[in-house]
Amino acid sequence: MKILVCVGNGGVGKTTLAAAMGVSAAKKGAKVLVLTIDPAKRLATTLGIEGNKDICKVPGQTFKGELYASIVDHKKTFDDFVLRAAAKSEVAKKLFDNKLYQQLSTSLSGSQDFSALEKLYSVYESNEFDLIILDTPPAKHAIDFLNAPQKLAVLFNDSVARWFRDSKSSSARSRIMSVINAGTKQVLNILENITGSELLRQLADFFISIEQWQDKLEDRIVKVHKMMTNPETKFCLVTSFDRAKLRESEYFLTELRKGGYHINSIVMNRSYPEWLNLNEAVSRGSPAGTEGLFALYKEEKEFYSYRDEIYSAFAKKYGVETKVLRLPEAREPISDLAGLEKMSEIIMSQGDSR
Amino acid sequence: MNPEIIFVTGKGGVGKSTVAAALALKKAKSGQKTLLVEIGDQSFYKDYFGLQSVGYEPVKVQEKFSVALWSGQNCLREYILHLIKVEALYRLFFENAVMKAFINVAPALPELAIMGKATSGPRNHGPKLPYDCIIMDCYATGHFMALMGASAGMSEVVKVGPMGEQSRSIDKVLRDPQICQYYLVCLPEELPVRETEELFAQLKADYGITPNIILNKCIAEPLPMAEFSAAESSTNTEFREFSKQQKKIQELHLEMKNRVATLDPETQLLPTIWSHEVSRVLDSLAAVLK
Repeated sequence: MKILVCVGNGGVGKTTLAAAMGVSAAKKGAKVLVLTIDPAKRLATTLGIEGNKDICKVPGQTFKGELYASIVDHKKTFDDFVLRAAAKSEVAKKLFDNKLYQQLSTSLSGSQDFSALEKLYSVYESNEFDLIILDTPPAKHAIDFLNAPQKLAVLFNDSVARWFRDSKSSSARSRIMSVINAGTKQVLNILENITGSELLRQLADFFISIEQWQDKLEDRIVKVHKMMTNPETKFCLVTSFDRAKLRESEYFLTELRKGGYHINSIVMNRSYPEWLNLNEAVSRGSPAGTEGLFALYKEEKEFYSYRDEIYSAFAKKYGVETKVLRLPEAREPISDLAGLEKMSEIIMSQGDSR
Repeated sequence: MNPEIIFVTGKGGVGKSTVAAALALKKAKSGQKTLLVEIGDQSFYKDYFGLQSVGYEPVKVQEKFSVALWSGQNCLREYILHLIKVEALYRLFFENAVMKAFINVAPALPELAIMGKATSGPRNHGPKLPYDCIIMDCYATGHFMALMGASAGMSEVVKVGPMGEQSRSIDKVLRDPQICQYYLVCLPEELPVRETEELFAQLKADYGITPNIILNKCIAEPLPMAEFSAAESSTNTEFREFSKQQKKIQELHLEMKNRVATLDPETQLLPTIWSHEVSRVLDSLAAVLK
């Protein structure tokens, strides 16, 4: 089974692109699942997943293959993971009531990344699809997505957990104080001075609940990492188009390679208006009474032609190892299946995205 | 005197960082000593302004205008050093492997430290920040709400002790319109406008905050309709098509302008600057900003 992960900064059109790539693959005969994070309402309706948390077949399709879609429900994915990891359901229940857990599972940066990967892995394990396309959560920096599980794992690391667990009761604490070194004792005191004893108590409760999780979580993280670095798992970097963003992309590509991930395409999305032909110079002369409009037309054409030069330089540099695609800003915002199909045709005309 | 604290946020890709930089430039030009702050581990402004590096210590961009990169870790470190005062103890605390790991992921702790530092002046707590104006280029909507919610959430979880006290004081300052202002950057398109409407309502409901809206890349002075009809007789197909699209865009912008104006009647419009030069873009935007 193949996986395509769409990564990139927020607002670059990852979700729409993931859906369009799903259409491309389904057209070629594959059974495809598009896993989205937070689709716009109209796109969700098009995909048949609005207000639905299960995997749904996209309505109205006449492809050679089949296209399915689903929204990652973070809270549920996180809770499911907890239920499986906790040996007894009472423990899980107690944890669900813990205020720190509530913060952790919903608002902590990184928890969305974790649940997206967790959901991806569970579908991957089921082996029901030829291809899964994952749309990733918005991040300030695309690389954050890949680091999230390891960062989170640290919290569940048993040495951290034991530390707080043992600070729980004063008797347990005094007992542990006799065995741990004086340095650690001082560190704990400092933390208590700064945060107060209540936070320490909350933390202790939390870590008591997740006792013996470390193995399960680490096992999961190893498996997820294996899946993500598998040569059959490809990354597609989606970016908007300006110099600063291109530099960010270059940085991200380097990081991806360093991490042993496989990149197969860079997509510059909405990089020029579909209605401007950048290969043609502005023809002179305009009808009387269009001065303002013509000036704007000229200005935009110059702007996008210059951008095209930056693009060409970038494509030349990176096009050798990976596909560089440039997609236009469409005449109409893409929200229905026809729009997705049109976008998928542009993608296919520039080279296979799988 | 307390500094002015401005938080800039909005949907991903709407131009938050550019608008925040233009705002900072504007403030600096009007004589205020301004600090532009970006949050995280990676600097966007380093390449944007062509600087050698951008880190926790402010770097000068131009007269009265500096930029800094704050991570939760750095803010927390500075705050704790300020509290502990004894370098050796602080070292012990931060070089402890468990503590290091914990701080990295502890729920709401990094967010709390960042917001704590931003509001340290008016709260008279923590190291001094000698600026007249602090502009925070915040994350996109979702992460921004996590920043806002950290202090309220923490004061809920920890009711007693110094942590709870600090959280309540941060929360109070964030809600004070005399000290903190919020700018929502938006594009004149359906999705960003909808997200702005939701964020506006949420800030109002949860914090009693009335944000200001900046509509970026918006047509401020529409072309007369006569130009579009005159263009129909052009022999240049591309120009005819451009005219047709431009008319649609103009109508969309007007519609979106009216929609956000019902939230903030004083919504500021920023034009598209058709330039790839940072300094030209920022100067033009700063000249338009109020």
